[in-house]
Amino acid sequence: MTAGRRALVGLAVIACAIGARGSADAHEIGTTRVAVSFAQPGRYDVEIVTDAAALAEKLETVAGRPRASMVTTPATPSDAQLAALDAVFRTRLRFELDGTPAHPAITYAIAAPADALSPPVATVHLRGEVPPGARQFTWTYAWTFASYALTVRSAGTAVSTQWLEGGQTSAPLPLSAPAAPPDRIRTAWRYLALGFTHIVPYGFDHVLFVLGLFLLSGRLRTVLWQVSAFTIAHSITLGLSIYGLIAVPPSIVEPLIAVSIAYVAIENLFLRELRPWRVALVFAFGLLHGMGFAGALKELGLPPSEFLTALVTFNVGVEAGQLTVIAAAFLLVGWYCSQRDWYRRRVVVPASVLIACTAAYWTVARLAL
Amino acid sequence: MNRFASLSPEMPKHSSPRLSSPLLHRLLALAVAAIAMSGATLAAHDMWIEPTTFAPGSGEIVGLRLRVGQDLLGDPIPRDPALLREFIVDDSEGRKPVVGRDGRDPAGYVRAATSGLLIVGYHSHPSSVELPAEKFNQYLKEEGLDAVAALRAARGQSGAVAKEMFTRCAKSLLLSGPAGASQRDHALGFTLELVAERNPYALAAGQDLPVRLTYEGRPLTGALIVAMNQSNPSERQAVRSDKDGRAKFRISGSGMWLIKAVHMIEAPPGSKADWASYWASLTFALDAPARQRQAS
Repeated sequence: MTAGRRALVGLAVIACAIGARGSADAHEIGTTRVAVSFAQPGRYDVEIVTDAAALAEKLETVAGRPRASMVTTPATPSDAQLAALDAVFRTRLRFELDGTPAHPAITYAIAAPADALSPPVATVHLRGEVPPGARQFTWTYAWTFASYALTVRSAGTAVSTQWLEGGQTSAPLPLSAPAAPPDRIRTAWRYLALGFTHIVPYGFDHVLFVLGLFLLSGRLRTVLWQVSAFTIAHSITLGLSIYGLIAVPPSIVEPLIAVSIAYVAIENLFLRELRPWRVALVFAFGLLHGMGFAGALKELGLPPSEFLTALVTFNVGVEAGQLTVIAAAFLLVGWYCSQRDWYRRRVVVPASVLIACTAAYWTVARLAL
Repeated sequence: MNRFASLSPEMPKHSSPRLSSPLLHRLLALAVAAIAMSGATLAAHDMWIEPTTFAPGSGEIVGLRLRVGQDLLGDPIPRDPALLREFIVDDSEGRKPVVGRDGRDPAGYVRAATSGLLIVGYHSHPSSVELPAEKFNQYLKEEGLDAVAALRAARGQSGAVAKEMFTRCAKSLLLSGPAGASQRDHALGFTLELVAERNPYALAAGQDLPVRLTYEGRPLTGALIVAMNQSNPSERQAVRSDKDGRAKFRISGSGMWLIKAVHMIEAPPGSKADWASYWASLTFALDAPARQRQAS
């Protein structure tokens, strides 16, 4: 897993958590995630993705090796190092099928960090056969102290996610499809909300981009042209990315998103009205932002039976978030001030400069990270 | 049996040693190992800041990793905008927000722009947890929260499930360049806060590190403050704060040190929880600066 992909996973974990909780019952969510799959008939595959250095340190400690006293970025452990601690690793996880502990074959793979500050990631697979007639399973994983997501994927069924604490045993979960398919209305509402919150309040960069579009001119027509181009473009790449037809690493997409925000804001300083090439550029930038939206949505796990519903409603949620930003901006400043002669001097220029500076900073920060 | 070994679902947490004699420590470690075989789960975890280096060179970018765990064995906590209340660094140029990307570990990055002490602070919004009576009681005992345990007993609630909101108030001291006694930690204004009253990087041999614990800016008396070293976290020093919120620790080993304290109050009326806890921590590491001092 690349650092970029890991970032997406983290982002998705947080986005997913935000979608699944209220602010009053927030949890400290770690970077571990577990995916149980019964996609292949008669077999199971449990994938654990976790911080490699943290896992190795815990395994070594429990194995009785002395603790390191130096504080530096921990060395990337090797696959073989984890494999040698296989017996220790098995002591703190339990995968039971119909109440009988499974004895999986376990493989360990470590992806080197993308840069000096990113942590290495371990991917551990537990594989084995499902006993004939088995109906449910329970899962316990005690190698993490933080909350983590357990995702279950069965052949032809919905992906379900539940949140567990380290050491907590899951409720018994069915191996096969749940009796009731996921409710379309509920799926639609859930993904609508996730799309919306991806913009407001958690997508500050997208908010600034939309404000950049708004600031070009106080005319509604100008805003509508740009927002329409942006929406069509991000819908295209969101769809293409979700269906796996295009894949651009976030290490490229994210700095470019920041550049697009800076560009739009800077152009506002020189441009007074809408030109066709501005619409074309906004369209191109929309393609970029769509790839960003896709990254977050992918890791949420789209239910196969309601794939299109989730994709469309997530996109609609994103759109609603953007329109909310524009409506708020219009009500706050646009309605009253946009036709005044000082609007450009006192609102457009300072706000655009502020947005451009923030985005320029993000560009550098995102390139540096 | 090491201390982490007691943290599996099959094994309960140990009690905190509050005794200073090495013999008692060993006896306690044996008791811990014995309890460890019996079968409860862990209750509550420490949270601390673990920078990618405690001794950044001039201009070096440091990753600020948030860790949750036990005995300085931690899991990364990525940057979560829903939990982050304040994430700041205070150096000789003043106070700045710590930048980072949501969902990423390290949760923040800081550049050592100037020579001297960098005080990093992370203050979270509250998280919620619901603990069965047995686990909650065990945790109150471990963290020295005797007053809360007594209050629960007096109300006949010792057997009740406890709903808790916990807030993290973590700090870390980094040193860029040579150490000097004039460099000082200071309060960042966190709800519960540990302040090192002497520069840990400039301690003379045999000199203790005095720390002060404050709650809402006022000294907190009688709280259990614990210090541990990464290379041997079971050898912990545990001291109750005096009337001025002060406690002293012998910082004798190299490597990363964690000093921590927990304070708990009744949750405000109208909240969904019964109790509100605040977790203060302070980390620093001694070997790298020691090397740096020798080199300079």
